[in-house]
Amino acid sequence: MNSPNPTSVAEAPRETPPRRGPIRLPRDRHAIVDSFFRFQSLFGLAAVFIIAIAVSPVRNGESVFLSSGNLANIVRAVSEIGIIAVGMTFVILIGGIDLSVGAVLGLAAVGSATLMVDSGMGILPTVLIVLLIGTAFGATQGAIVARLGIQSFIVTLAGLQAARGIARMWSGGLGIPIAYGDGPQEAPEAFSTLSGSINGVLPVPALLFLAIGVGALLVLRSTAFARHVYAIGGNEKAARLSGVPVRRVRITVFAISGLLAALAGIIHAGQLNQGSPNDGAGYELDAIAAVVIGGTSLAGGSGSMGGTIAGALLLGILNNILALNNIDANVQLVVKGLVIVAAAALQKLRPRIA
Amino acid sequence: MRYARRAATILALAALVATSACSVEDDPGSGSSDASAKCGSGKDFLIGMSQANNAEPYRQVMNDDVSNAAKSVPGFKVVVSDAAQDNSKQVADVENFLSQGINLLIISPNEAKPLTAVVKKAYDQGIPVIVLDRKVEGDAYTAFIGGDNVAIGKAAGEYYAKTLLPQGGNVVEISGLPGSTPAAERAQGFREGIASNPKIKIVASQTAEWLREKGQSVMDAMLKSTPDIDAVYAHNDPMAEGAYLAAKAAGKETAIKFTGIDALPVPSGGIKAVEQGRLQATFQYPTGGREAIDLAKKILVDCAKDVPKTTTLGTQQITKENAAEVYTTLGGKQ
Repeated sequence: MNSPNPTSVAEAPRETPPRRGPIRLPRDRHAIVDSFFRFQSLFGLAAVFIIAIAVSPVRNGESVFLSSGNLANIVRAVSEIGIIAVGMTFVILIGGIDLSVGAVLGLAAVGSATLMVDSGMGILPTVLIVLLIGTAFGATQGAIVARLGIQSFIVTLAGLQAARGIARMWSGGLGIPIAYGDGPQEAPEAFSTLSGSINGVLPVPALLFLAIGVGALLVLRSTAFARHVYAIGGNEKAARLSGVPVRRVRITVFAISGLLAALAGIIHAGQLNQGSPNDGAGYELDAIAAVVIGGTSLAGGSGSMGGTIAGALLLGILNNILALNNIDANVQLVVKGLVIVAAAALQKLRPRIA
Repeated sequence: MRYARRAATILALAALVATSACSVEDDPGSGSSDASAKCGSGKDFLIGMSQANNAEPYRQVMNDDVSNAAKSVPGFKVVVSDAAQDNSKQVADVENFLSQGINLLIISPNEAKPLTAVVKKAYDQGIPVIVLDRKVEGDAYTAFIGGDNVAIGKAAGEYYAKTLLPQGGNVVEISGLPGSTPAAERAQGFREGIASNPKIKIVASQTAEWLREKGQSVMDAMLKSTPDIDAVYAHNDPMAEGAYLAAKAAGKETAIKFTGIDALPVPSGGIKAVEQGRLQATFQYPTGGREAIDLAKKILVDCAKDVPKTTTLGTQQITKENAAEVYTTLGGKQ
């Protein structure tokens, strides 16, 4: 149930309002079907995982896909997209979109490199400043959306351009390499932890992604803020009339998205030993894809964080298994397109079947 | 009824996933060999070619050169990945190759710094690494093969000084993306090349970021701002073609001479433009694809221990006289 208008309510008559937020045990047949759609991304993830095992190349008698090194690569590769997709989920839940996240990631990567290498700052101040920049950027976009009532698509499209422009001015248009050491033009060695792993298995970015995903999952399940987010996405007018601070929630949601995009940018710089103003180009689309595959409706008001995390992992596994089987790069794009459409089509079927 | 529809939905999903999976089934089992310390004739080798961006024609030609050259070596199988200009994706591509157990890596890095670590990782695992066109940092790779942009710019400059404008003249320069190494080197080499003829003047220099459409709009502006243009030196062929279109719109296409760089053997490339008379000349920027496979053959099949660490490829000048011939030699498609 993703549209708040009365006609769709008539199509699927039932006593209770559509379920949002906390997951409850299914009580009737509708609810069972409903929970299938609710967890469609988990089923999809499981299906893709099993298929990946089945079609994985075998090397020295072992499945290449299931090797711990490969699984770690998947989560590492998907972690930046996953983190910005978490922020994107909040934005899409209120019926908005944030196209600026990829550019904010680039801006944050440039900021991390410049502050540490050129300005000789330590890790903590660098991280704080960059996160602050991302948050402020997001909050500004949110304020423009909330105060002036301009569609977020337009505001963040402008934000995308602006963030790229600022990043290019700040870096002089070129990538800023990060060298490690104690010298004046060098970043602290500890920053390279971002490209490392815990116990040589779990990559640090993956750990951050999982931590943020779980944190956001809890926020979305059990806070008043989350109820406000769902309420605004479901029916903004009703939400306002029932006392939801719509503007404040809007601004907060975009600030979260900016904050997480900046965090992804810091990780990006740490992983690649460079901050380039063109980093993260197109990442907003991958993040939106993860959210959509996760079952969140672009109309707002319905969706889950667990779905987004599963959606991001599904995309990562898909990329990996296609690459491991040497599928032509162009065919890979087509397959990814089909999966996104299939996920969206399932959402469309949901109110009809349930 | 409901159940039936529900089942149909689930089946549809399963079918979709299954179809995508079927196309996945290429030949699992390839790369079953161990990568380390294996060479010799009569064996099968899997070569991973990590490309920075397939969307550029130059890089597509590079892939084709690698693939075509590999076809003539028995046992060679090449898989190509496309990083789509994304450093992160290219790192993941190389990691995937390593998981697959490639015997040799050919990489044309999107940018040096971000790819250095993963190239070193491959090299440290004992996998020979051939770096094409753009370098990585340090020396943890087997060999680098690339063109010399300064030399190419210089060849173009000498052509201007001796052949194109022996009496001197006003040249406008349309340069590549600011800050990119090839743009800087092609500009520098050209100035060295025309130095022998002081009557040649560079009267204006603007960037068109390697793009044909920007070449056109930049040239539009320069035709208005700069009188008496005798020739256009563009840092690549598409920008030269764009400039030609602008001059044509102004009715000046015969009064001005155009040259480019790259000379891709494709229908939309510079060689055809020279053959058809739009450009006076272009200068080949070799992809190094064939040379990389030659080297791979030496390493994998002939078990060569010492291969040259750096191979600098020469350029060749393409004018109307040799255009058709060079197009065929480079394997151009009609």
